[in-house]
Amino acid sequence: MARLLTLCEYGAGALIALATAVVIHALVQPGWDLVLAMLLGGAIGMVVHLLLAFPLGALIGMFQVMLAGSLIGMYGGMLFAMRDAMQPVSWTQTTAVAIVFGVLVVAGVQVYDRVLRSRVGG
Amino acid sequence: MPWSVRFKWDRASRGYDFATRSDAWRYGAAKRRLFEGMRGHCLMLAAGTGHDFRFFPPGLRITAIDISGGMLTRAAPFARAYPGRLDLVQMDAQGLAFPDARFDTIVSVCTFCSVPDPVRGLLELHRVLAPAGRLIAFEHVRSRLGPIAVMQDLLTPLSRRFGPDLNRDTLANLARAGFRILREENVYLDVVKAIEAIPD
Repeated sequence: MARLLTLCEYGAGALIALATAVVIHALVQPGWDLVLAMLLGGAIGMVVHLLLAFPLGALIGMFQVMLAGSLIGMYGGMLFAMRDAMQPVSWTQTTAVAIVFGVLVVAGVQVYDRVLRSRVGG
Repeated sequence: MPWSVRFKWDRASRGYDFATRSDAWRYGAAKRRLFEGMRGHCLMLAAGTGHDFRFFPPGLRITAIDISGGMLTRAAPFARAYPGRLDLVQMDAQGLAFPDARFDTIVSVCTFCSVPDPVRGLLELHRVLAPAGRLIAFEHVRSRLGPIAVMQDLLTPLSRRFGPDLNRDTLANLARAGFRILREENVYLDVVKAIEAIPD
């Protein structure tokens, strides 16, 4: 069960990143003001993450999905928007980079969890 | 008893089992280990829908309270199934109707993310806990990792409308209420923690 939940965390992270990147790619065009694009990207990422994290979190683990998902949504959203404002990007690149980003963030959170998961006092 | 808090948790009780359905898989083993320390007459705060009762050691005398009647209605079958004595009482953690030093163990599961004035609630626990008693807590707290803490701060105004705060510093609140931490264990990141404390 633990291994299945871990795999599902990666899937949830990839899905949140993918949804965030797709929405941003549809909205943000090359030539946009970079600051505005990044602010919009962060906001879109937060909304997308909230919409997906609640149902996914109930199935997989609320904190596991919400914490990684919020990092993916906000920081990923800013990065995706910055990229889309700076250069023309294909849909293939958008989706591939998003999935890689989501998986990497979840991996980072899991590494942090392993480092921290121990008795820290007493 | 604050009506708005009771209303919020009555409303939340309808979807609570769905929102927490993965908790047993995630945290069941950690809770069972933590609850092994329960002794004597026990008080459980925020009984919720009763899904944590299964992790209690058998044969104990437990009084479980919750501010929400909706939660307690759902918890009743699990209380009856507990192999010991488990009484459910609707009560606010900020104003416990128990005499001083009444309980040998107090168990708190995801409570002090929700109590409006956590230090006042913890002072009440300090009052009803026997001098040689022990507080056992399974709580989520604000992370000390900057990027995660920022997200918890940003999400809390929203989460507070439907459920708990995500950014409470419960360890500091315990110290403010006169508890000394005996043991603190990270269960998930440094956000979900198992804590044992005694009156200082």
